[in-house]
Amino acid sequence: MHATVSTAMPSAERAAEAARNAKDSRDDRLFGWVLKGCALIVLLSLVGAAGSTLWLGMDAFHTFGFGFLTSAAWDPSNDQYGALVPIMGTVGTAFIALLFAVPVSFGIALFLTEIAPQWLRGPVSSAIELLAGIPSIIYGMWGLFIFAPFVAEHIKPWLMNNFSADPPDGQVSWLVQHVPSIAKFFSSEYPFFGAGVLTAGLVLAVMIIPFISSVMREVFQTVPTRLKESAYALGSSTWEVVWDIVVPYTRTAVIGGVFLGLGRALGETMAVAFVLGNTFKLTPSILETGSSIASTIANQFGEAQGLQRSALMALAFLLFVVTFIVLLIARLMLRRLANREGK
Amino acid sequence: MTNMNEVASQPGFGTSPHASGVDLGQVAPKMFARDVNFHYNDFHALKNISMDVPEKKVTAIIGPSGCGKSTLLRIFNRIYAIYPGLRASGEIILDGENILDPKYSLNRLRSKVGMVFQKPVPFPMTIFENVAYGIRHHEKLSRADMENRVEQALRGAALWDEVKDKLKNSALGLSGGQQQRLCIARGIALKPEVLLLDEPTSALDPIATSRIEQLVEELKKDFTIVIVTHNMQQAARVSDMTAFMYMGELIEFDRTEKIFTKPDKKQTEDYITGRFG
Amino acid sequence: MSASLYTIRRIKNVVAMALSVFATAIGLLFLAWILWETLSQGIAGLKPQLFTKITAYREEGGLANAMVGSLILNIIGILIATPIGVAAGTWLAEYSSRSKLGPTIRFLNDILLSAPSIVLGLFVYTVIVLPSKWLTNGDVTFSGIAGGIALALIALPVIVRTTDEMLRLVPGTLREAALSLGVPQWKLTMQILVRAARSGIVTGVLLALARISGETAPLLFTAFGNNFMTFNPIDKMPSLPQVIYEYTKDPSPDINVLAWAGAFVLTMFVLALSLIARFVFSRSKVSHD
Repeated sequence: MHATVSTAMPSAERAAEAARNAKDSRDDRLFGWVLKGCALIVLLSLVGAAGSTLWLGMDAFHTFGFGFLTSAAWDPSNDQYGALVPIMGTVGTAFIALLFAVPVSFGIALFLTEIAPQWLRGPVSSAIELLAGIPSIIYGMWGLFIFAPFVAEHIKPWLMNNFSADPPDGQVSWLVQHVPSIAKFFSSEYPFFGAGVLTAGLVLAVMIIPFISSVMREVFQTVPTRLKESAYALGSSTWEVVWDIVVPYTRTAVIGGVFLGLGRALGETMAVAFVLGNTFKLTPSILETGSSIASTIANQFGEAQGLQRSALMALAFLLFVVTFIVLLIARLMLRRLANREGK
Repeated sequence: MTNMNEVASQPGFGTSPHASGVDLGQVAPKMFARDVNFHYNDFHALKNISMDVPEKKVTAIIGPSGCGKSTLLRIFNRIYAIYPGLRASGEIILDGENILDPKYSLNRLRSKVGMVFQKPVPFPMTIFENVAYGIRHHEKLSRADMENRVEQALRGAALWDEVKDKLKNSALGLSGGQQQRLCIARGIALKPEVLLLDEPTSALDPIATSRIEQLVEELKKDFTIVIVTHNMQQAARVSDMTAFMYMGELIEFDRTEKIFTKPDKKQTEDYITGRFG
Repeated sequence: MSASLYTIRRIKNVVAMALSVFATAIGLLFLAWILWETLSQGIAGLKPQLFTKITAYREEGGLANAMVGSLILNIIGILIATPIGVAAGTWLAEYSSRSKLGPTIRFLNDILLSAPSIVLGLFVYTVIVLPSKWLTNGDVTFSGIAGGIALALIALPVIVRTTDEMLRLVPGTLREAALSLGVPQWKLTMQILVRAARSGIVTGVLLALARISGETAPLLFTAFGNNFMTFNPIDKMPSLPQVIYEYTKDPSPDINVLAWAGAFVLTMFVLALSLIARFVFSRSKVSHD
């Protein structure tokens, strides 16, 4: 009987209704497309950065072929370009940075999650994060004017006295006498000069500590409390809980955090541009000056023409690809933890 | 949103208006469900539900959690369709038209069927704007008319006296009970015919709860109400008809006093008397 | 349990704890050191002409044109990055759930977040600076626009990420409530969701601004620098970080002093921005519930 009561709309109203529906769904589709277009810009900038540097770097890759990667000659006056020295400098400084930043970051994360009293955690972690907010150019200045002289005065003489074959105090150390091969890592043409691979690595270390430590702190906090409590209940010490429970539980993500720091260190320009020395001599010594990919680009691109510009673009392409891979690994490892958390 | 409904075409009324065969007295069903099935990916969440919703009465849906009562309610205005992987089939006839038909306009459906949720969800805007927001989408009104409509809605939701001096304040500053009544005002401002209430008091304290229950009593003069609740006393207090659901099936649907005094099914009796659920 | 084993375990624990405290002390020490040097050296170089005179006067001048240039570049960068970033973040949070592209872009955005900024600068050099040089026969080469676009590329992932995260924190019931009124998705998104997540999104924009304010590398080959005051966005444009970079390399100690003063201004600006961002964010948490 209610079938007869059916409140059918008048047809004019129905047409208006249909028009409004059509407009709503058209607007919705349009809106969705615009948003999607904007999201694609993210994709586009990554592809564009890789593509444009590869395109302008093609000339150098063609001219030098595979030798571009293995040649240590970077000689603008003869138009000869090989990427080995900047590559070594980039990898070397990043490696030194990790060597120092990883244990320190681990210690900070441990302090902030397990040791520090509750009231101290907030202020200390804010302070560490403040380090991340300081512009990298400031690290560069501090490195050049303050830290490099400090290295020249306090750290370098000590290292050379103990590990180099040509120590300032004239006494070759016992270690170098017995293991002479170690000396080549600590030689220096200018003993009183603070700039060099080690100095740059240390400045980078300070710069990436906040990144790595905040990732580590975050992943340590994902360890379920009951897991830690049951270990404490068995009489484990704080260190044993960290080493036996927290670290195994978070290992992948911790490595992800380290790779994230590595990605930052590889691509950093300004923090190392002043303290690396910008020389192009291939040397194994961490006390010698060198150059990194980013610092070479920053220093030379302004005046570069022709093949030199192409070589710098090729360097940029290499840098981009390497950091992309490192960051890809970092994010994949961090995502695994996020997935587990989500379950 | 394609093919939400496999049996969309034939008009499902005429032969048996009372899909569930329950005697509603003289009251015509405003809306009725016929053989409604619901799938969540591979999970068969609702199985062959048929029930009538009488006009200007309160129909309660009760049952243990996970029985599908909220799911059923969310089919009545097709709000489920915003999530991927959900499929409903069967028919839900509102005023002689099948709302599950993809051709049935969502705009129309949602201006005819309002919904209030478990937790109060005021929009991040002023009290006035909260109520006016939905109206604006459906009608062009003059300023004075709009103010009138908002006042009407707020009065209808028994909130006017409390907020009339602070209509320009953020709705987020209201208490939980007030926020929920604001959400009811927002719903009835569109002048819907059916109002769906999804456990509207589960996040509220007892005093706010009893105010909402009184309000429901008032609202049924103008609206057809379907309320989902896990609180059996509430169902007994406010509803005229009660549906008991269990594991995706409609076990029993009858007048509330019958369900609560002498239900036909053993499962209903067990649930009512608190032996499970 | 033997007493010696217990002692060894305890010593191990004490040593580990001590090293951890030591590591934190090192971190804080370096922070204090860097801030202290920036402060003390910077304040020594502060004088009124820093804000009134331009870099063309070298030692006798100030950094006024660099500060104005930075301001213009930052504004261009943020004006470009904010709408695109908010839109992209909104797409990720609200629209991408049914497509495979969503997680991929979210993932790549995280990579863009740490991509080497100097390479992004070279990208903009290739697609903006070189073409404008060809198109204008060399009249327009490096420009404020190019610099702003380079900064926008750095701000973009920050804004995308915070928008995405903040929108995903908005309770789903808010969406259902609006949709149950018959409101179309785009209105729901623009008028309710973005508004609900507003302070979080503002936080993201402020963080992005703090980030680009300190960027030097991407500006070297895009905005290039200029010793004079300019408000023209298609002119070569100076910026504070880039002038600090030049002045730090300069052999003259008087110029170095100006670099420190600039560093002080820049650091204070960036730290103030991140403090404001935190403040906005903490308020957003309060107002959400």
